[in-house]
Amino acid sequence: MNRKRRAVFSGVACVLGLMLAVQFQTTNNPVTRDTRDTWELRADLEKEKQRQQDLNNEIKKYQALLDNYEQSRKKEKIEAMQKALDDLKEEAGLTEVSGQGIVITIEPFNEGEMPKVYPELIRRLINELNRYDAKDISVDGQRIITTTPIREVNGETYINNQPISSFPIEIKVLSDDAQKLQNKIIASESAEDFVRENLYIDSKPENQLTLPAYDKPIRVKYMKQAKEEL
Amino acid sequence: MWLPVLALIIGLVLGFLSEIRIPLEYSNYLSIAVLAALDTLFGGIRAHLQGNFEDKVFISGFFFNILLAAALAYLGVHLGIDLYLAAIFAFGVRLFNNIAVIRRLVISKWSDSRKKS
Repeated sequence: MNRKRRAVFSGVACVLGLMLAVQFQTTNNPVTRDTRDTWELRADLEKEKQRQQDLNNEIKKYQALLDNYEQSRKKEKIEAMQKALDDLKEEAGLTEVSGQGIVITIEPFNEGEMPKVYPELIRRLINELNRYDAKDISVDGQRIITTTPIREVNGETYINNQPISSFPIEIKVLSDDAQKLQNKIIASESAEDFVRENLYIDSKPENQLTLPAYDKPIRVKYMKQAKEEL
Repeated sequence: MWLPVLALIIGLVLGFLSEIRIPLEYSNYLSIAVLAALDTLFGGIRAHLQGNFEDKVFISGFFFNILLAAALAYLGVHLGIDLYLAAIFAFGVRLFNNIAVIRRLVISKWSDSRKKS
C-alpha cells in the first residue's frame, strides 16, 4: 500500500469513526430539552437541597455508628450491633410500638345492608396516612409493614393473609402530631371515598396507643446479600 | 495496513470525547450516511485487493454516496415514502457482496502464500 493510498484510507476511516461515534451517542442518549420553567426549577432545586441534607444526615449517622464501633471494646461492639439490630427490627415493624396517635374506626354509614370494605379503599387510606407522616399503622390488629398484602380473596378482604373482622374496624396510627393528622384525615379524600362506599370513618386522637408487632416471617424474595468489600 | 484501523479508532475516540449529539430527527440521515461510508470503505478495500483502486474514485464515491443517501432520505421524508429503505437495501447488498469478495481474495492470498512456503 503506498503512502498516498494509506493516507486516503486513514482519512475516510477517521471520518467514518467520527460518524459512528456521533450516531451511537445520539441513539443511546438522545438530546432531551429542558423545558422546566422558573418555578419548576426552583422546586427541583429545593428538592435536591433537601436530598443533600438527608444524605448528609445519613452520612453523619453512619459516621457516628462507625465511631461507636471503632471506639468501643468488643463487648460494647456487640451492644452497638445489638442496638442497630433492634433499631432495624423496630423500623421493619417486628416489635410492638407505642406512642401518641389516632384511632380510626370504620363503620357502616347507614343501617341495613352491610357495605363491603374493598382492599382498594384501605390501600388508599394507608397511602394517604403515610403521606400525612404517619409512623406506624395497624389495621384490625394487623401491623402494616412494607410488604403487607391487602387483597380480596373470594369476596373478602385479607390483610397479612388474615380476613378482616366485622365492623367496627379499627385502624391505629402512630404519629408525632396526632392532632394534625386527625385534622388532615377529616378533610382527606379517603374519607369521601369511604362515604361513597356507604362507610363512615371516625377518628379520635389518643395519647397512648400500642400497635402489635408483625408476627409472621418476612419473606425476602428480591434481595441478595451484599458482597463484602475486601 | 494498521494506519486506517488506528485512524478509525482515533475517529471513534474523538467522536465519543467531543460528545457531539445531533437532534433525533436527523439521526436517520446520519445512520444512512454511516452505511454509505461503510459501503465505500469496504468497496475501497476490495478495489485495493483487486488492484484497480483509484484515489479519486474512492474519495468522490465516499462523499457522493453519503450525500446521495442523505438526499434520498430527505426526499423520501418529503414525499411520504420511505425512500431511505432503497438506500439501505442497495448499500446492504453491496456491503455483503464486497465483504464476500474481500473474504475470498484474502483466503486465496493466504493459501497462495502457504503454498509458496
